Amino acid sequence: MTAMGEVLPYRPPRAREETTAFLGMVVFLGSWAMMFAALFFAYGFVRTRSVAWPPPDLPGLPWETPAINTLVLAASSAAIQYGLRVIRQGASPKLGRALLLTVLLGAVFLALQVSVWTRLYVEGLRPETGGAYGSVFWGLTCFHALHVLVGLIGVGLLTRRAFAGAFSAAKYLPVRLWALYWHFVGAVWALMFVLVFLL
Amino acid sequence: MEAAGQMKIIVGIKQEIRASAVAAVLVLSNSALAAVQPESGLGLPRDASQNGHLVDWLMNITSVFNIILFTIMCVWMGWACLKHNRNHPAEYDPGSSKHSVTIALAVSAFIFAIVDGNLFVNSINDLDREYWNFEKVAANPKTVRLEINAHQWAWDARYAGPDGKFNTEDDIVTWNEIKVPVGAPIYVELTSTDVIHSFYLPNFRAKMDAIPGQVNRFWFQAKETGDYDIGCAQHCGTHHYKMKALLSVVSPEEYKTWAAEASALAKRAFDPEDTAAHWGWDWKEL
Amino acid sequence: MHAEAHPAGVHPEPTSFLRRYIFSTDHKVIAKQFLWAGLVFLAVGGSLAMMIRWQWAFPGRPVPLFGIFLSRSGGVITPATYQSIFTMHGLIMIFFAITPVMIGCFGNFTIPLMIGAQDMAFPKLNMLSFWTFVISLILITASFFVQLGTAAAGWTTYAPLSTQIGTPGAGQTLVVAAIFVTGAATIMGAINYVTTVIRLRSPGMTYMRMPLTVWGLWLTAILNVLFVPVLGAAALLLFLDRVFGTQFFIAGAAGVKGGGDPILFQHLFWIFGHPEVYILILPAWGFISDIIPFFARKPAYWYRGSVFAMVAVTVLSAVVYGHHMFLTGMNPLLGKGFMTLTLIISIPAEILFLNWLHTLWKGSNRFPSPMLFALGTVFVFGLGGLTGLYLGTIATDLYLHDTMWVVGHFHLTMAAAAFLGSFAAIYFWFPKMFGRRMNEGLAKLHFWTSAVFITLVFCGQLVAGYAGQQRRLYDPYQYTFLSHLLPLNRWTSYFAFALGISQFVFVYNFLSSLVAGEKAEQNPWQVGTLEWTLCPSPPPHYNYATPPVVIRGPHEFANPDVIKALGRDWIGQTEPMPKVAAAAIKPAAGGAKD
Repeated sequence: MTAMGEVLPYRPPRAREETTAFLGMVVFLGSWAMMFAALFFAYGFVRTRSVAWPPPDLPGLPWETPAINTLVLAASSAAIQYGLRVIRQGASPKLGRALLLTVLLGAVFLALQVSVWTRLYVEGLRPETGGAYGSVFWGLTCFHALHVLVGLIGVGLLTRRAFAGAFSAAKYLPVRLWALYWHFVGAVWALMFVLVFLL
Repeated sequence: MEAAGQMKIIVGIKQEIRASAVAAVLVLSNSALAAVQPESGLGLPRDASQNGHLVDWLMNITSVFNIILFTIMCVWMGWACLKHNRNHPAEYDPGSSKHSVTIALAVSAFIFAIVDGNLFVNSINDLDREYWNFEKVAANPKTVRLEINAHQWAWDARYAGPDGKFNTEDDIVTWNEIKVPVGAPIYVELTSTDVIHSFYLPNFRAKMDAIPGQVNRFWFQAKETGDYDIGCAQHCGTHHYKMKALLSVVSPEEYKTWAAEASALAKRAFDPEDTAAHWGWDWKEL
Repeated sequence: MHAEAHPAGVHPEPTSFLRRYIFSTDHKVIAKQFLWAGLVFLAVGGSLAMMIRWQWAFPGRPVPLFGIFLSRSGGVITPATYQSIFTMHGLIMIFFAITPVMIGCFGNFTIPLMIGAQDMAFPKLNMLSFWTFVISLILITASFFVQLGTAAAGWTTYAPLSTQIGTPGAGQTLVVAAIFVTGAATIMGAINYVTTVIRLRSPGMTYMRMPLTVWGLWLTAILNVLFVPVLGAAALLLFLDRVFGTQFFIAGAAGVKGGGDPILFQHLFWIFGHPEVYILILPAWGFISDIIPFFARKPAYWYRGSVFAMVAVTVLSAVVYGHHMFLTGMNPLLGKGFMTLTLIISIPAEILFLNWLHTLWKGSNRFPSPMLFALGTVFVFGLGGLTGLYLGTIATDLYLHDTMWVVGHFHLTMAAAAFLGSFAAIYFWFPKMFGRRMNEGLAKLHFWTSAVFITLVFCGQLVAGYAGQQRRLYDPYQYTFLSHLLPLNRWTSYFAFALGISQFVFVYNFLSSLVAGEKAEQNPWQVGTLEWTLCPSPPPHYNYATPPVVIRGPHEFANPDVIKALGRDWIGQTEPMPKVAAAAIKPAAGGAKD
């Protein structure tokens, strides 16, 4: 007989489908990571070529609130991860509460971001007059905040479904996918905190 | 970094430049009734530079290689198509034997070594010895230094004048016309005030982008007198096609007389209030 | 999320017209949607090219036919209109013609069929990809009708010309937005392709048994996933600069503030842009690497070599982008590094060429239209590749950079080769897609006119570039050193018009074959890949009722055992070797493994 080749091992359709969806999400986030990588590259590029960063007549970026925000996002990532753990054991109401906590922490993050934006705007850091420094700050943080917002909407809808009992130990794929997305958004923020606010 | 600081001032003034630059140089542009000789045939434009033949040689030798390779490819393909047609039984050969693979790799490596190797070695040599050899140019006492500022859609050039310093009252500033002596290296620093342009001397095989916010450099040297086209090679807006200037290569004596005269005129016309006309920057020797 | 009764990637066949033909999730329907959109915009981009050629042949004279679009200037192309024309020609051809036809259409059509899948991994995402693409088409179309006209900063959209400083008006902004949106559509498609190939190959379809078409498209998808987001970032920052007044790409105006940098845009653009040129040619390489062995009736020569070469090019394409920026005053060491990497690309390219030529050699070559177009692709890509050597080398690039030589070079590679390669694919898969045959005589006429004129047009550009003519000149003859090139450019334009007119042969053939073409059999080309051996023409909704079990590579031709046992020179990828002959198979028949 000619060789049959490596026949792909048979898996139940649902497991196959879930792995496929998970892989798709990983590919998507890898792709999106390239976009953020490009944005960070842009930041590094203009920063290394500028004379003074921040320019003397513009306010420096605070690190305290963003540091708290990093913790907030880390906590919300932990919450959704906890939700993932409990739903694997079938605890649907617990999942709902974990997701609710995730959403609330995400909302706290956005609220704190708004406070940072307002403060800096009042202090004179505006997108149209801040030069490359202002552009980087506004461009990067707002673009990231948009992703948080998308995450909030997504996880918010999940929360509703979780309380309605839509997920079980056998069926929780959307939670897995959104958790991955949410970790990604958090990781990007952590990087942004270090590169943009601390350095 | 100092030059960068200077540059930012240049960029800030943008619009006013053209008007004042025109006023300052009007006297000098009268000789613009120049006669650039048209080219003929379909080959390269004539070479007026001292080192352009290096580029020409490298292109020509590569063309010879390419013609050979392309001919082999066409003959191979044509022969296979004509002779190994539907009446020819196909050979069952997946081409993955060690022998076939070795031949394929060896042929590729051979072509690469000859064609790309030649390009690589000569290009690096040409760059190190000529095109990017700014030490040689800087050390040459005959070198003429030029600052060029591009803007939509003209070229401003600035000569240091007798004091050898840029942005002083004896600077000669010209508009869309550059006069250089034959046989001396012309060392150019260039930038742009608005969008990206590219300074292009077809007869000298030279080209360099003029980019707002940064100063680029290149050099060329004429081997014979005459008038030549200067072009813009980077799309820079509606009138990109009209952004042409004149390079007139003259004898060293003629150049000296002209420079002295022009510098004296410039000194008389100098207006310390007209900051827009002082777009030059401190020369940054590499 | 998914109906319970259907396994992965499968959805029930819709019955309503809207779900079946408009908002369909069937990869074959989406492929056709992309094909139609791509062909329409190919015609638009081609018409713009004709206008450019008219201007270079007869500067300032009213344009015949298309003049009605220029009524305000009495049919004459003005300098301002001219820059919009060449900008939109480039953008439309790249993002809205070649990409949808090659990747959107043939990526969608061939990947699931050739790997034995029932559909894409994410059918809904696939549909979303097409409709996102439609949004970008609407944006790009709208940009023509706003005040100050559409984009005018060149397809490369170099800042600061593309910011409000150089190109005010809503047109350029809409186009930048369209680039971002079409990028999103491309990424959605690419995620689908990447995942589908990894997850949905049918049993036995190992990577080394995939048709080279799938390899080409898969590598393309990987490049798209990785580098289109970088273009997205560039478009996003440019959009912010234009709309919100940020200064990412505008050099600082005063010493006290850190300025943006126009060169940053070029970095971001070319980090994407160089992979993009391979994105536009890898699918064509894949098509012709399959079509040549199919019609040489001979196994693809050194299949693994072709795969490795394509993989090598994919990897290298990510690290050579600096050769687009040799003249931006980049660090000399960096420049030399990019030059070295660029030259190295010629090794895998040579291997591919040798494999194609070896496949033809000692074959039993037949020349139906797909084969002719494939050979034409090899011919023009040979020319394009060789002329690229001068541009990858800094010393010669000093002279040739931004001249018509560059234009000729990249048109030969990513326009002519992609064009002929796409038509090879269209003529080859048309019977499978629509269940009808195209008229072969007209197809051959289309080939000869297209191949001859396209070569002449782009070689004419090369000659103009060698003589020093810069790109994108409204009126090249303003320059004394170019004034003698009018006859050359005029002849090139005549060839271009002939090329344009000869496309009507295709339009007629395509449309008439759709409605009245001869019914196609299941396997008119007598080849062994899954879509021809197992699917009727056109394939049913699910493609395959059960996953096909693949036992060999895609190009098993001229196997003496097969000929002896079956009396034909090919065998399907799933077809077991007849018993009698199987016993006789010696290890020498290693082709079965490849």
